[in-house]
Amino acid sequence: MKILFKMAALAIVTISVSAPRSAAAAAAAAENLVRGIIGPVGSNTSWSGYSAVSKIPGAGLIPVTSETTVFYLGFTAGTRADIKNMVLYTTARGGSTITAVTPVKLGGVSDPSIDLASPSVCPVVEISTYNPCIVRLDPTSITLSALNDYYLVVYFTSGDSNNESVGVTQPIFSQTSLTGSDQAADDSRLTVRDAIPNLSYSSASFLLMYVMTD
Amino acid sequence: MNTVKGLAKLTLQLAALAASSFAATWTAAATLVNVTEGQGNATSSSNPSWDGLSELVLIPGASLLGPSSSATAIYLGFTGGSIVNVGNMVLYATPRNGSTVVGVTKVTLGASQSPSIDLASKSVCAVTPSPTSPCIVRLDTVNLALSPLKDYYFAIYFTLDTNNQSIAGMGQSAARGALSGFNLYGDQTRVGVDGALPTFENSDAAPFFVAYVANE
Repeated sequence: MKILFKMAALAIVTISVSAPRSAAAAAAAAENLVRGIIGPVGSNTSWSGYSAVSKIPGAGLIPVTSETTVFYLGFTAGTRADIKNMVLYTTARGGSTITAVTPVKLGGVSDPSIDLASPSVCPVVEISTYNPCIVRLDPTSITLSALNDYYLVVYFTSGDSNNESVGVTQPIFSQTSLTGSDQAADDSRLTVRDAIPNLSYSSASFLLMYVMTD
Repeated sequence: MNTVKGLAKLTLQLAALAASSFAATWTAAATLVNVTEGQGNATSSSNPSWDGLSELVLIPGASLLGPSSSATAIYLGFTGGSIVNVGNMVLYATPRNGSTVVGVTKVTLGASQSPSIDLASKSVCAVTPSPTSPCIVRLDTVNLALSPLKDYYFAIYFTLDTNNQSIAGMGQSAARGALSGFNLYGDQTRVGVDGALPTFENSDAAPFFVAYVANE
């Protein structure tokens, strides 16, 4: 009987040792889903009534699979950013017709007011182009596919004095997969079968810095 | 007795399975993998006289590929010169897109931070370095897992001597991958933690010397 117990114990130990612990550990670490904004950044200010539209091309996805997608926004000036709405549009790769609309949230809401003066939000209190404040949005339950393109839209509340002084990151280096544009309109209310905003997506994106697994 | 034999067989099978799993892991670990996209070709254009100059090369966290490796190897590409006299090499860490140094790691070649690299030696460069046959020198592996939550700057200082006047790096490649570099006068390898990196040149150009960044 003792032999039986010893063998059972050995089997359990063997199984536990060979279990893919490294895979679990790796899954817990944040990984890039695309090449984000790199290098020093400039600042683009006065966002009241504007939408920042960022394209995440399926063709730029790094082969890392994740059930969630986390967006990181970069701020360079201001004390409070009042966001009216945030969504993620899905289109076919290279297409312009929206096939899905996914809400994007911070703190459980799609219209957060971000306190850029709070050290718990921005550890370096006086944010600047040298110390941009990176805000991590809530994980969005979507697995990005190389067969689709995605557009993140962040609309800043119109007629809002806080947003007049908000500055967002404006990339200086061009080596990124993220491109985007901006428009003085609420581009976040489109629905399935609508066309994505007809903007130029040839420059590196404002605001959206990284797209990661966590 | 049959039960005992059955359990023994099961145990052996599990042990074999575990061993094969480890073997697969070791094989994967032994494979060279790019940590970020390196330079795709060598052009060797516009090299300055490198005596007394430093090169800083940005390895952006936002460009790191896949799971992090426990070690990092930086490869330098040379296209000209015979002796390279390095004054110092370090790897700075900063917050992503930030300029305040939060970590400094020594980088060595042959365990020295200030190596003299003999490009004329066949054991270092199999063929004479040129733009068509760049000599790739692998620095010692740095025991540092690069994090996508940080940026890294590799800094190398070339001492003020005549040998360094004739050296040339493989950049500035049009196919530079994710790497950006800029060069500055003086020794820029002595910035400490909480110090500020030298002002960016905003050159948005490929590095001259760093060719690849891999896991080994």
